[in-house]
Order: sequence, then structure tokens, then C-alpha cells
Amino acid sequence: MILSVKKYINAYTDSSPLVVFRIGFGLMMLFSIIRFWSKGWIEKIYIEPSFHFTYYGFEWVKPLGDKIYVLFILCAISSALIAIGLKYKLAIITFFLSFTYIELLEKTIYLNHYYFICVLSFLLIFLPLNSSFSIDNLINNKKSNSVPRWTIDSIKLMLGIVYIYAGLAKINSDWLLQALPLKIWLPSKYDLPIIGETLMQENWVHFAMSWGGMLYDLLIPFLLLYKRTRTFAFLLVVFFHVFTRVLFPIGVFPYIMIISALIFFDAKFHKKIINILKKIINPISKRLSQINIQNVKFYSNKKIIWVLAIFFILQLTIPLRHLSYNGNIMWHEQGYRFSWRVMLMEKLGYTTFKILDNDKNQFFYVQNEEFLTSYQEKQMSFQPDFILEYAHFLGKHFKSKGFENIEVFAESYVSLNGRRSQMYIDPEINLLNIKDSFKNKYWILPLK
Amino acid sequence: MKKIFTVLSIAIIIVGCGGADDNDIYSDGFDRNALLINITDNIIIPAYNNFSTKTNELENTIDQFIAETNQNNLDLVQTKWLDAYMAWQHIEMFDINMAEEINFRKKMNSYPANSSRIELNVLSESYDFNDPNHYAAQGFPSLDYMINGLQNGITIYNGADGGKYLAYLKALISTINFNTNEVKNEWISNRDNFISSAENTATSSLNKLTNDFIFYYEKGFRANKIGIPAGVFSGSKLPQNIEAYYHNISSNNTSKTLALEAFTAINKFFSGVHFNNSTEGSSLKEYLNYLNATDDGDTLSNVIIATFNTAEAAINDLDDDLMNQINTDNYQLLVTYDKIQAAVPLLKVDMIGHLSIDIDYIDADGD
Repeated sequence: MILSVKKYINAYTDSSPLVVFRIGFGLMMLFSIIRFWSKGWIEKIYIEPSFHFTYYGFEWVKPLGDKIYVLFILCAISSALIAIGLKYKLAIITFFLSFTYIELLEKTIYLNHYYFICVLSFLLIFLPLNSSFSIDNLINNKKSNSVPRWTIDSIKLMLGIVYIYAGLAKINSDWLLQALPLKIWLPSKYDLPIIGETLMQENWVHFAMSWGGMLYDLLIPFLLLYKRTRTFAFLLVVFFHVFTRVLFPIGVFPYIMIISALIFFDAKFHKKIINILKKIINPISKRLSQINIQNVKFYSNKKIIWVLAIFFILQLTIPLRHLSYNGNIMWHEQGYRFSWRVMLMEKLGYTTFKILDNDKNQFFYVQNEEFLTSYQEKQMSFQPDFILEYAHFLGKHFKSKGFENIEVFAESYVSLNGRRSQMYIDPEINLLNIKDSFKNKYWILPLK
Repeated sequence: MKKIFTVLSIAIIIVGCGGADDNDIYSDGFDRNALLINITDNIIIPAYNNFSTKTNELENTIDQFIAETNQNNLDLVQTKWLDAYMAWQHIEMFDINMAEEINFRKKMNSYPANSSRIELNVLSESYDFNDPNHYAAQGFPSLDYMINGLQNGITIYNGADGGKYLAYLKALISTINFNTNEVKNEWISNRDNFISSAENTATSSLNKLTNDFIFYYEKGFRANKIGIPAGVFSGSKLPQNIEAYYHNISSNNTSKTLALEAFTAINKFFSGVHFNNSTEGSSLKEYLNYLNATDDGDTLSNVIIATFNTAEAAINDLDDDLMNQINTDNYQLLVTYDKIQAAVPLLKVDMIGHLSIDIDYIDADGD
């Protein structure tokens, strides 16, 4: 056993899949940053709001005002450097740090896709993506055409974790037995050409897509791993992600998953892609091929294996932490984030806050739009940790306005997957007395 | 090589199809266009026609008052002002397209009126009604101040600065008519365009109508007419913030009458009842019923209507003089507020959830 692990760790393979992955990743990131910028979302999400929701434990991440653009520029430049493989190590570290900082700034836009990029870019710090076909090769005058097998496999493992956990999350009664929330979402896509008024309205389509989506997520990593099913699996990947892109506003994520899935193909496939790229940059590459770059054996730092081992243990356990809470996870959302729970629920809420002034023995309601943008208000209204954080913000705000002895209560109504809206937060509980923690949030009323 | 091209070309074909667009009239089986046609032709446009008739009549009486500045003519202005204000309650919720663009709602009905700003404007004779600082110095609340709020009004109009006051009065009503015509004409000229936009995007007609209706119910109706004067958002009551404050002092019922009229408009919109008669057409109610939105055995639309009725009854039970109600027993107003409020989660959460209406466009993965 130990022997075979050792053997595995020392096994080498062709580096070209890493090269294609690096170029694809760098270009996709560059594109998605430009897209984000051009839609005006930097302004809308990071500059306009006067108050930002932060992650538990990361309250120290503070907004930068206009300087946020510097961070985006840094992020874009490092993406480009990653793509061409110039100063790769520095570039990927910069990318990871800047991207993660941006994400930590505002919890309202938490998306599993963005979290995936944070996690993936952390992993990429430890992988030799610049070992060949990179500018770094020219500068150092050496390259490695083969790399340890585990470097490529660790990316496959990461993708596998994402898909399998996403699939496991779909095994719940709403999804499988009632085809919810697809039953709500798909009919509202009536404006799609051809399928909008026909297929999207059919009950069996909702069920077929629910079950199909679950099976797809659970099986696709295995179908991609085996050579015989690989091409078919990749076509499925393309179809599935493009289809979800057409149906839902999920941005560039489908494309990132499509590009990432290429990693499962063998070296021959990737060499072909590299050859095409070489032809495209023909004039330069001719001159480059005259430079004699030494092919050296790639040695990896053994400590990296340990870092990655811990990393993957965390990746395997974090999505399971919801098991330590009772009740419906989609309702109380404890352990919901960072768990690859994607497209699982249609949740809407309406939450207002009552401030009780004990000194004057009177109360008043907060008008949320004074402090939150409409998007923030929408997100805050059905997520308990947002409600708590905002309640504390309101407490601080009104204390600074001279209300000394106040209590803050939430009046919250939430509807999950088409159920009738019901009271969400115990209206009798002064939220200022509650500190956020990993302890069970008993002040969330149970789903009826 | 071959494999790559197969994969790429299939990807491109699929992506290409996804981006396709066509101009067919969309539906999920429910005829959204019929809904839009009913709301536009039988509610919005008749309500605007009625409103602009009333504001023109108001302008005529003001002209008459300017020609012959006496108490009798001022009384006529007051009557026509109230008629127009009642008609306004039927259009305030349609803050769409041109109305939204020119800030029609804010220019017509920002209250309380800023009386010191009005006095300044009257005497300086220079002001810009498009400046947000002047929103509370125009529209119905400012007319209210000018015709109902000036002490010894008729002596002021006949006094040394009388000409300036008359000029401001004229400026107020002609701005109201100018803006009203702009919005009304756009409704008429843009009608075909408006009713054909039935797709489900943040900017389509049905989504805008629905969002604006909810926004109006929450803000223009619930907060402005009841919540703010009752002190729901401030802790201490603000009776001077009731609608038609000055007229209410003499009539002792204007604010409540306007609120009830607004509730009629809310009920009519939700159930698709024609402005001019009681014929019922396609509506949000019908749409919810079509989608089979149920709620503990009853339909969601019935629950919403029942909640509306409870709220309307609560307003009816209040003292005719809201000011008096606030000053003597504000608790009743807070209770009424809660009953109005009860419909907000039903509209904002349950109704929107069933209609699956896009509100904000931003990347999301449904979590």
C-alpha cells in the first residue's frame, strides 16, 4: 500500500494538459474580469453600497472605495500573466489573493462559481503550470516536458469533488420527488425560442431535468475518467453547461467548467491543441524554436504533497458540515455555502426590522432602502446570517444616533420552493443579544 | 485533430442557438398580452384621460381665479383640486417609462409640502421644477398649501405680493398639465409597444408593472399615507405628514378619503377591473389563478384579496379625520398599518415567487 502510494507520487506524465489548463484558466479569468467590469458591477456591488455584508471570521476585510479598481486591474494583469506563463508563481499568488479579497468584501454576491475559482487558484499555486510552453521557460532557459502525475490528477480530483457534492446535494425530496425548483423556474422561461412555450412547460421535462441533473453531476467525473466514455462525456459537459447558461443567469461559469473538463483528456489531445496554438503564433515560435531550451526533470517539493493532502481533506469535509445541524438545510442554510449546492432552491424573503427604544418605550421600523441596495436587501431577506449581521449594524447605527437602550427584532417572511411564505425568524428575540457562531441558530423558526 | 473540431463545432452550434432571438409573442400558456392589453386599455389609459380632464378643469378654475380673485372662485379651485387629487390616486402606481423618466410621481405628490421653499419661490420668482430640491414645492401638496394653507388666503392674493402668488399658482398648474400630457401622450403612442413586451426580463412591461405595483403599495400607499404619519419609521408620530394636510384641517376627512380612493385603485389593478365600470378583465389575479397558486387550500389570489379587504375595512373604521386619529389614539393607526403590511409579504414573496419575475439582473446560481 505504502509502496504503491510512493510509486504513484513518483510517477511522471506529459505536462501538456497542465499547459492547456493554464492558458484556458488565464484567458477565462481575464475575460470574466473584463465582463464583470463592463457590466458596471464593480460600481454597483463594491462602491455604491454604504454597508457590506462580510463573512464570519473575515469582518476585517474592509471595502477600498475607488481603490477597488486597482485590485481588479491586478487581478486582470495576473490572469494575463498566467495565460502566457510569465512569472507564473508570482502571478497565480497575486491572482489568488486579489480575487479572494474581492470575494470576501461582499457576501451578497456569494456564488459557488466564485468560491470554486478561489479554491482552484489556491490549488494552482502549488502546481507547475508553467513547466512547458511558457515565457518562464525562455527566461530560465529550461523546461520540463514531464511532470508528476499527481499534479494533473489533483485538478481532476478538485473537479470531481465539485460535481459529486453537487450531485449529492440534489438527492433531496424537493428536487427529486417534486422537481422543485425547476418546476417554478422552467415555465417562466417561456420567452426562449422553440422550447420556451413547449418543453419548458411540460411536467415530465421538469422531472427529467431534475433527475438528469442529479445523475449528470454524480456520474460525469467517472465518465470523464474512462477513456472509452470520455468524448461522449465531454459532449455531455458542453451540452449540459451551455444549456444551463441559456436557461439561467450564471455568467461565465459554464464556460469555465467546459474548459476545465478538458483536463481529463490525455496528453495527445492537449499536444494537438498546443500545436494549433504554435501555428497561430508561428512567426514568433519559429524564432523561439531556434533557441535551445534545456529539458530538465521536474522535482517537486515533497512538502507540497502534505499541503495538498490537508487541502483535500478540508475540501471533502467542509461540504459535510451541515450534518451537524438539524432541520432542512435549504431553510436554515447552516452549512449551505462552500458545499457546491447549486441551483437547488427558489427562496424569497421579506424582512423588516423593528427597533425598540426602551428609554422612551416606543418603537419604529427601519426602511431597509436607507442602508441597503435592492440586491443586498433581497439577499439579506432570506439568509439568517445576513439578517443577524444587518441587525447588529442597525444596532450600532442607532446607538450612534443617540438611542442608547435599544433592542432589534426581525419580522421576516420567507418562502422556499413555492411553499406559502412563513415566519422565518423568531420575532420575540432581540437579535442584538445573539452573536454569530457555528452554534445552532435556534432563533430560526422551523420549516412547517 | 478531428475530435477537436467535432467538439468545438458542436459547442459553437449549441452556443449559437442559445443566443438566438425572435420576436414571437411569448407565453407559458397564459395570455400575458391579454393581461397587458386589459391593464393598458381599460385601466391606465382611461385613468390618465380622466386625470388630465380633471387637471384641465382645475387649470380653468385657476385662470378664472386669476381673472377675478375672490373667495367664490377660490372655493371653486379647492373643489376642482380635490377632484383632480382623487383622480391622481388611480395613476400614481404606474411609475413607468416616461413617468419614471421625468420623476412624475415625485413632482406630483411629494408631501409634506416644503412651505418655506414655496414662499421663497413665490417671492424670488425663480425656481427650477426639475431640480429635486423643488419636488416638494410643486404638485398637489404645494397647491394644497397655496389654496388651503395660506392664512387669510384671499387677502394675500389681493395684497401687495398677490400677483406673485397668482403667478406661482399658475406655474404649478401649468407644470402639472405639461407633465401630465407628456406622460399621457406617451402611454397612447407607446401603447402597442408596451403591450407586446411580454417576455420575462427585468425591463419587460409585465415585470415593470408588477414591480411598480408592489413598490407603490409598500411606499406610496402603506408608508406615505399611513406609516409615516403614524410614526412607524420614526418612533414619534408625524401628523403634519398626512396627505392633503391643509385641506384636511377644514374638511376633517380628506386624507382618509384619498387613502380609500387609492385602495380602490389597488383592488381594481389587482383584479383587472376596468377604470370606468366594474367589468373584470385579465389581471395578476387571473394569472395567479392560472398558475394554480394555492395557499392552505385557498387560492393565493383569494388570500391576497381577503387581506386587502381587511386592511381597507381597518382604514374605514378609523376616525374620518386621520389627524385627529393620530393625535387622540395613534394605536389604531399602528394596528391599521399592520393590517396593510400583512399583504406585503404575500405580494413580494408569494406572488413574485409564483410569477417567477426577474427583478435584478446579476449572475446567480440560485442560492
